[in-house]
Parts: sequence; structure tokens; C-alpha cells
Amino acid sequence: MAINIHTSHRLLLALSAGTYLILVYLCAVWPAMVEQTAMEALPRPDHGELVARGREVYKSFNCVTCHTQQIRGDARRAYAVDDRVVVPVLEADARFGREVATRAEEYAWQDPVFMGTQRIGPDLSSTGRRLPESQWHYWHLYDPKSVSPGSVMPPHRFLFTSKEPSGDTSAYHEEVIVIAGLGVQGDRLWATPDAVALVEYILSLNREFLEVEGLGR
Amino acid sequence: MKIPVGIPVFVAAAGTDPRFAKMVSRWLVCAGLWLLVASVVGLLEAVRLIDVEILADHAFLTFGRLRPVHTMTMLFGWASMALIGLAFYVVAKSTLLPMHAPLSRTELFLANLALALTNVGIAVGAVAMCMGDVNAGREYREWPWYAMAPVFAAVGICGVLFYRMVARRAVAGIYISCWFVMSACFWIAIVVLMGYQTIWKAGIPDRIIDGFYIHNAVGMWFTPLAVGMTYYALPKLLNKPIYSYALGVLGFFTHMVFYTVIGTHHYIFTPLPMALQTTAVICSVAMIVPVWASTGNFLMTMKGERLAISHSYSLPFLFVGVVGYGLASLQGTAESLRFVQEILHFTHYTVGHAHFAMYVFVTFLIWGCIYGLVPRMTGREPPILVVAVHFWLALGGIAVYVIGLSVGGHLQGNAWVAGEPGMESVRVVAPYMVWRAVGGLLMFVAHIFFFVALWRMRPGAFTMAYSGGKS
Repeated sequence: MAINIHTSHRLLLALSAGTYLILVYLCAVWPAMVEQTAMEALPRPDHGELVARGREVYKSFNCVTCHTQQIRGDARRAYAVDDRVVVPVLEADARFGREVATRAEEYAWQDPVFMGTQRIGPDLSSTGRRLPESQWHYWHLYDPKSVSPGSVMPPHRFLFTSKEPSGDTSAYHEEVIVIAGLGVQGDRLWATPDAVALVEYILSLNREFLEVEGLGR
Repeated sequence: MKIPVGIPVFVAAAGTDPRFAKMVSRWLVCAGLWLLVASVVGLLEAVRLIDVEILADHAFLTFGRLRPVHTMTMLFGWASMALIGLAFYVVAKSTLLPMHAPLSRTELFLANLALALTNVGIAVGAVAMCMGDVNAGREYREWPWYAMAPVFAAVGICGVLFYRMVARRAVAGIYISCWFVMSACFWIAIVVLMGYQTIWKAGIPDRIIDGFYIHNAVGMWFTPLAVGMTYYALPKLLNKPIYSYALGVLGFFTHMVFYTVIGTHHYIFTPLPMALQTTAVICSVAMIVPVWASTGNFLMTMKGERLAISHSYSLPFLFVGVVGYGLASLQGTAESLRFVQEILHFTHYTVGHAHFAMYVFVTFLIWGCIYGLVPRMTGREPPILVVAVHFWLALGGIAVYVIGLSVGGHLQGNAWVAGEPGMESVRVVAPYMVWRAVGGLLMFVAHIFFFVALWRMRPGAFTMAYSGGKS
């Protein structure tokens, strides 16, 4: 009797496993290797210890659930300015102020990458430029609605403390949060080191390539 | 029209090894418990999109951390465990293993060990993520590695057991359900290894792996298992052969080829390689072939059986699941197209689609298979009224949920394209967040009824006595 996938479990599993491994190589491993080589040529960005810690806080609260860090662009409509390829931003993403879609270089060495798949809140990839005031971000973290009426972002009050920090307080950011109707009116609140780092990280999200010369073709 | 009269459940269950029945039942009951846990978490998240102040003062219960607790527990707690439990029964039956001893003592021990490992992994994963150790930005693998490891080991154990069961089958041919079960165990092992490897974990390479992982974790595990279970349960319950066995084989191979490469459609309009994006879109369209090979096959098998379906408490679930499979997949194909993505990507519409697929397709098929097959294994039927309430609450709940999020997602996407300020899109979508919570509440109540029915079907003293006094 000839070997037949309907009657040989070995052949059947070998076939589905083998085909799958080949496909995985073609659609994931191989492109990842190619892009890895391209990334190796790029420098590892260093924004300092505080920003790195803020990135960890951002990661631990899984902020990427609601916030993307990608401005989509249509590569089919790309054009060149000097030596640089410019990918124009999709209409749906235009409100974040960038004129150029996010590029591969901007994600280089980020682990993990916070590109995101959902926008319950806004994209944050150019927050440092759009909202450069750290004070705004402390208010926003403590009570998002106070500076952004209608916001559905959960308040992050646990990142603040009303107890005066003792010992080395250099990591704390002393804030007087005056927000009507919160019951802490006039109270002195200290942003914890985590909050300080998180705000620093958000402010560091200020990608270059925002304005490209000659874009207004 | 004829109403097929199947074998009464007591007779069907006669002679079944009670230890085997208990093992399968344990997988299903644990799955049912995780379903309740994940539903509560999902409901809490839905309500929080209406009122942000709910439980807002606890860092470990923030929205971002609980969201993956909901998704991971639903996927690997509910769906995965229920399907593995069913697979033990379906593989044993479709390979014609002697039901008084389908598994050896050692194998039974390993199956129970796998169950324990899975439960440990899910619990550890949920706690770890609440404590802040979350694999952020990597959807459906947010668990840290030490939570995924026991679950991975459990799937490995089950894969070996399924393979051994198929290897010692009492018939020459291998039924299509076993094709799906054996292959899915291998596929998911590769998918998880790819998801947790540390070679490509930064920058664009990380996103290429992510696109692959997101879709393969769903499509190379839940889909083949759910479809495989249906290939056994549907003909069994209708008392007739499947419409076309060849269509099943066609569905198997085209599913494997097309589904594997569609993941990058989550990254259209990004700096990921253009060739990969385009391939993903083309294969997403090609997915119509495997989906309708199976959906069409199931629908043709059900053709002319309207009376049988309306008189059964399990077949309506299978009918909804089969139709859901076809429609959810068509919706997925449409969403992969660039001009659709431009408007709907990042919106709540996508969440509606994810629920449509995992609920109307996978979950309804699981329920249909549980209600159809478990009584044949334990000899105990669920209270029909409870099943009926479960069916209508679940169907009504998911309808409210998906319609709400689809409409809301459209409004949200169109507000973005129109260049409205960001808060405008939050405002237009707000009423649909109420739909979402109401739908979620109905589904949660449905799950309580399901659990009651499931509990009533567990093997009891009567089953044990009936199965020949062995226990």
C-alpha cells in the first residue's frame, strides 16, 4: 500500500509541520533577519537614565493599550526630498502635527516597540513637541479631565503622594496641584520618582523628521 | 423532514472510562471558571470606559494592566482549555479507541498534569501583569515568559498525547478532526517559541515577529481546533456524514498556507517591508477559500435539517458558530484592505471584530460541541431551560456589543479622517461604550448560566455506576 497522508499520521504531521516551518521562515524569520541587519547599522539611541526608567513605567502600566506611537503614511505616495524619502501622512493621522510618517529608524533598538494597535487615546509619538510643558503632564496624570475635558484616561493618582518625602528628595518633583473639586485643593502633592520619570519619557517623545524642508511641494 | 434520533446519552456514555471522563470534564470546568473570571475583568474594563473613577486608586488594577488579563485569560484560559478538553474526547472517539480505556494510567496522569500546569500559568500570568510585569506592546503574549512556560509545556504534553492516540487508532484513515488537532499543537508550539525568542526583539524586526505572532496565535490554534471539533460534532449530532470530506482537506491545506502569512496586515501604512504588507493583504483575501470551504461544508451538512436544529439544544450553537466563522472571516478580509484600514484601524471597530471572531465563531462552536458531546461522555444532560437562557443571552449580548462597537468605530474613524479634534472622536463614541458594557453584562450573565449547565453535565455517581462499576 502506498504511503498516503490519509492513513499515515507520520506523513501527515511531517507535511503540515514542514510546510509550516518553510512558511514561517519566509514570512517572519527571513524578513526579520533582513531588517535586523538594517537596524544593526543604526546607532543605539541614548536618552539618559531617567527617560529609560520612564519607559519602564510606561511599559509596566501597559500604556500602549490605548496610545499608539506611530503616524501612518502611504508609501505608495512617497517622494524624495534631497536624499530622503518622504512618506506623506494619512489624513486620519494628520491631527498629530507631523508631516512625515514615522520611519523605521525611529524605532531602532526600541525594546519593546510601542507602535500600538489601538487609539482609545491620542498618538504620543510627538508629544514632546505638541505638549512641551511638564506641569501639564503632572496635572494630566493626576486628573486627566482637569486639563483635557472629556478624557476617558484613568487618573494616575497613585503616582503622587501627599506625604512629604524624607531623605533624598532629589528624585521627587514637588508639585502644588490646584484643581477645583478634587478635595486636594491647595494641598501639596509630590510626584513620585516613577511619575517624574514617566513625564520625562513622554516629553522625550519628540521625534525628529517632523518638518522636512520642501515638504509643501 | 426527519428528526434524527441519535443514541440516547446514557447509552452513548456506557462503558466510558470514568477517569477519562473526569479528566475531560476537569479541563472544561476549569475553562468555564476562567471564562467567568475573564468576563468579570472584561466587564470591569468596559464600564471603566464610561466612568474612569471605578477602582482608579489601585495601581495593580489599572486599565492597561487588566486589559491583557482579560484577553490572555479568555484566550488561554477559556478557549484554549475548553478546546483541549474537547479534543481529548474527539480524538479518542474519531480514532475509535476503546472508550473503556482510551488513555493509559500514565497518559491520564500526564493529561491531568498538563491541566494543572495550564492553570498555574494563567494564574501566575494574571498576577504578574497586575504587579506590572507585563510584556507591553506584544499582544496576546503579554504574559512574562515564566507564565507562558508552563502553558507551553502543557500544550506540548497534550500534543504528544494526541499524536499517540492517533498513532494507535483502530481505523486506517485519520479523520480530519485529528489533522487539525495534531497540526495545531505543533503550530502553536512554533508560534509561542517565535513570540518569546530574544533574537529579534527590537525595532522593526520585533514588529515583523509581532504581526506573525498576533495572527498565528489565533489562526493556527483556536481556528483549527474549533473547526476540527465541529467536523466531528456536527455530523455526529445530525446523524449523517459530512457533506464533503474533500472540502475539509482543501480547507486544511489552504488554511495553513494562507493564514500563516497574513499577520502583517496589522501593520499596513508602517515602515514594515512593503512586500510583506502586500502579501499579507493578498493572502487575507485568499482566506475566503479555506473559510468558505469549511463554512460551506458545514452549512451544506446542515441543509434540510432545520427541524433537527430547532429541536436540539446543541445544534443552534453550532449553527451560530458556523455562520459566525464565515462572516467574521469575511469581515477580517475586508478590514485588511488598505482603504478600509485607513478609516477603521485603531478604532473600536477592530475590537468588535476580535469579539465577533472569538465569540460568535470560536466560543459558540465550543459551546455547541460541549452541549452536544459531553452528555454522550458523562450520561448527564444539562437543564434545557438553562441552556436556552444561556443561548439567547449570549447571542443578544454579543449582538449588542458588536453592533455598538461597529457603529461607534465607524464614527470614530470618520471623525479622525475629517480632521476633527481628538476629543471629538471620544465624544461621538461615548454612547457606544454603553452598548459595549450592556452587551458585556448580558454575556457575563449568559456565562453564569453556561457554568451551571456545565456543572450539571459533569460525571457523577450515576455515570460511574452506569459505566460498568469501574471508578
